[in-house]
Amino acid sequence: MAAPLPTFGLLTRVLHWLMAAGILSTFALGAYVARMEVGLSNLWLFGLHKTIGISLLALAGVRLLWHRLRPPPGPLPGPPKWQMALARATHRALYVLMFAVPLSGWAYASATGLDVLIFNRFVLPPIAPVSETWEARLLLLHQTLTRTLLALVALHVAGALKRGLISRDGTIARMIRG
Amino acid sequence: MNRTLSRRIFLSLAALGAGARLADLAAGYTFAGPAHAAPARYTLDAARSLVRFETSFGPDLITGDMPVKAADLTLDFANVANCRVLVRLDVAHAKASFPFAAQAMKGPKVLDSAGYPEILFKSTSVRRNGDGARVSGDMTIKGVTRPVTLDAAFYRQKGTVAGDLDHLSIHLTGLVNRSDYGAIGWSDMVADEVRLDIVARIDRTQ
Repeated sequence: MAAPLPTFGLLTRVLHWLMAAGILSTFALGAYVARMEVGLSNLWLFGLHKTIGISLLALAGVRLLWHRLRPPPGPLPGPPKWQMALARATHRALYVLMFAVPLSGWAYASATGLDVLIFNRFVLPPIAPVSETWEARLLLLHQTLTRTLLALVALHVAGALKRGLISRDGTIARMIRG
Repeated sequence: MNRTLSRRIFLSLAALGAGARLADLAAGYTFAGPAHAAPARYTLDAARSLVRFETSFGPDLITGDMPVKAADLTLDFANVANCRVLVRLDVAHAKASFPFAAQAMKGPKVLDSAGYPEILFKSTSVRRNGDGARVSGDMTIKGVTRPVTLDAAFYRQKGTVAGDLDHLSIHLTGLVNRSDYGAIGWSDMVADEVRLDIVARIDRTQ
């Protein structure tokens, strides 16, 4: 394993911000499609939500692999121990949810019995039985995991802002500029 | 292909313009002989017939059609109460206007074509209604049987002469509510009421 770099590399930063944008936009899209009046003109938005979600799942895999190849630097020292522990736990949970949220969405879509179509051309294999009970439970799971992910994103952002605006220790700068 | 077929059938009906009044059809025996006043068996020309359906999907429509697997028709234009109609529809080969609609419709939450591959219609009474007829019967969808009424209008086929009862076109319209049959899947997106629009081309066998 290569020695950790002192700063975040370009690919690490691109993955971080790309996934941040993807997570927030696909959440907004998911919340919108769940409430809209569905018709022929907006049916494609379901496909877009799935396409972004599955892309994020793939990017999460790429990101884990990349961190194995090029381990990112540890946190800058400074905050009290409990904050460091909280940040560490938050990061781990974020990674778990970056897999769990799209997987639960894929499972929910499978349980409806309809093809899980992404990029308007690829049909993903079903990963859950077709059943209304499974469908209801998996939708609840997808929604619950999504809300948990968003709460952790909020905590992550709060921690970053605290370092950026109060501690002013360069944590945010190195995720933006390297 | 089905859209083309459907258009062709409707165009040919329109071009025909020869709505046949039931009274005229009943009088058909004067052209062909009194033997035709008795109930006659007909076969359905399935290739030139179409069972279309349509339902609301938000501001839009889902349309589609379902092939006829078998039809047993006994018609008596002199005494419509003698008419008997039995039709089996092939759910597994139904088509809809976009792929997700067909998949949803045939899936377990709506028609469950794996468990219930056929829709059955069996007439219980036929009576005259203006120039056409009103066909009441039992419709079995997803194993549930409910009464349904269809309105029938009769047309001559192209190339036939007035009073020819050997080849006829029948246009049937009616409604079913999915919820009556427990076919309630996607009721948050797709309407309960399904409108039926059927063109049956029939040929007399005896």
